[in-house]
Amino acid sequence: MAPPRTYRCEGLTLRKAAIGEADLVVTVFTAEQGKLRAVAKGARRSTSKLVGHLEPLTLTRLSMARGRELEIITQAQVVDSLPALKEDLPLMARGLYVAELLDGFGPEASPSPGLFRLAAAVLRALPGAADPETPLRYFEFHLLRLTGMLPELYQCVECGSEIAPGAHRFSVNLGGVLCPACSPAEALMRPLSLRAMKVLRLMHRGSLSETAALTLNPSLAAELKSILAPTVRYWLGKEIRSNSFLEQLQNERRPGTGAIRGQ
Amino acid sequence: MTPDNLPSAAPSIARLVQELNRLPGIGPKSAQRLAYHIIRLPAEEAYALAEAVTAVKRNTVLCGQCQNLAEATPCAICADQRRNRSIICVVEEPMDVLALERTRSFRGLYHVLHGVISPINGIGPDQLKLRELLSRLSVPEVTELVVATNPTLEGEATAMYIRRHLSRDDLRVTRLARGLPVGGSLEYTDETTLSRAFQGRQDL
Ligand SMILES: [Zn+2]
Ligand SMILES: [Zn+2]
Repeated sequence: MAPPRTYRCEGLTLRKAAIGEADLVVTVFTAEQGKLRAVAKGARRSTSKLVGHLEPLTLTRLSMARGRELEIITQAQVVDSLPALKEDLPLMARGLYVAELLDGFGPEASPSPGLFRLAAAVLRALPGAADPETPLRYFEFHLLRLTGMLPELYQCVECGSEIAPGAHRFSVNLGGVLCPACSPAEALMRPLSLRAMKVLRLMHRGSLSETAALTLNPSLAAELKSILAPTVRYWLGKEIRSNSFLEQLQNERRPGTGAIRGQ
Repeated sequence: MTPDNLPSAAPSIARLVQELNRLPGIGPKSAQRLAYHIIRLPAEEAYALAEAVTAVKRNTVLCGQCQNLAEATPCAICADQRRNRSIICVVEEPMDVLALERTRSFRGLYHVLHGVISPINGIGPDQLKLRELLSRLSVPEVTELVVATNPTLEGEATAMYIRRHLSRDDLRVTRLARGLPVGGSLEYTDETTLSRAFQGRQDL
């Protein structure tokens, strides 16, 4: 049976670009089909019924028609515009980081319900998290897991021996922990503290809400970032552009003023 | 069909197609159609087009004050002594200045950013005319900043970035009201626009 010509789906809008006189091409991440690109005809006119329903970082219900190259959005209705995420610049920058990773990793035209649920949950958890960086780490960890690159936390990735508490190292490109005896020449290694290992294992087995409730001291938070962000970047094979904007925001307010809301 | 697989086209035609294809919104097919249209034009019309392209590049500068495209710096608006110098309206693109000027409801000065912060596209604050804006705002004569970036995610990000970087507490900062478009309908309006239109309701 041929697939239906029109269908409905729920998606997270990642980005949009202008095309033609008044049209938009929207990149959407959906549970049913993963990442897809679709045209919204006339959506740049302020009177279009689509305008406002397709802004990036919006959970939206879409009616689609199959087109020759790109899908065509016939209707769009916001489910959740994630307002709390958009009222604070550092939070919005973190939301865009999630969107960029989904855009980079998200499989095209294959069902990805887990990744869709993860992204929606992380975006909703960001505004209320004890430290808004922690949900990002949770996202990175489970993005790796759901795309088949789960970081190995229990056995040495080189010799397979059980990892005992003590001096660990994490290899970004070999995808997990190394025992003290193994130092493969090709491994990009970073030291991994016992505390960071415990948080990673909690992220693996625990829920997002458990992770988001953690208050991590700055050095532990920085260590987790120095392990997960480069791993994601390594597998993505390119720089994550929104990360540099986020880091710029974090750096500019630190000197002098101390803690600032939303940092 | 792409310009690359036009084996029979003469090199100069292929080059014109390629250049037109670089313009925004012009795909390979439109580029080809435009190129053949230009070829069929009377010579003087084609040269007039080429001359206009050359002249616009030769005569256009950025106004040293508002950063708008102009034929001289300061531009006609910045040089106009009848305009209110205490209020600056910041917009994304030169075309936004034209749109606001058509309304005849603003008599202050402008500042053109030439884009918006778009981290996912690699456009950060340093690629925009933001430093120039902040330095204009440090002058005490300026008492109000109107933020007229588009009501999009990137426009809001840019507005918030400007807000964070203002050094003066006595500067009034306003944002263009967001509401229902003329000719629009409540039924199809997204919840963000609708709730803002409600907050911004006025006495009838
Ligand atoms: Zn080992
Ligand atoms: Zn000017």
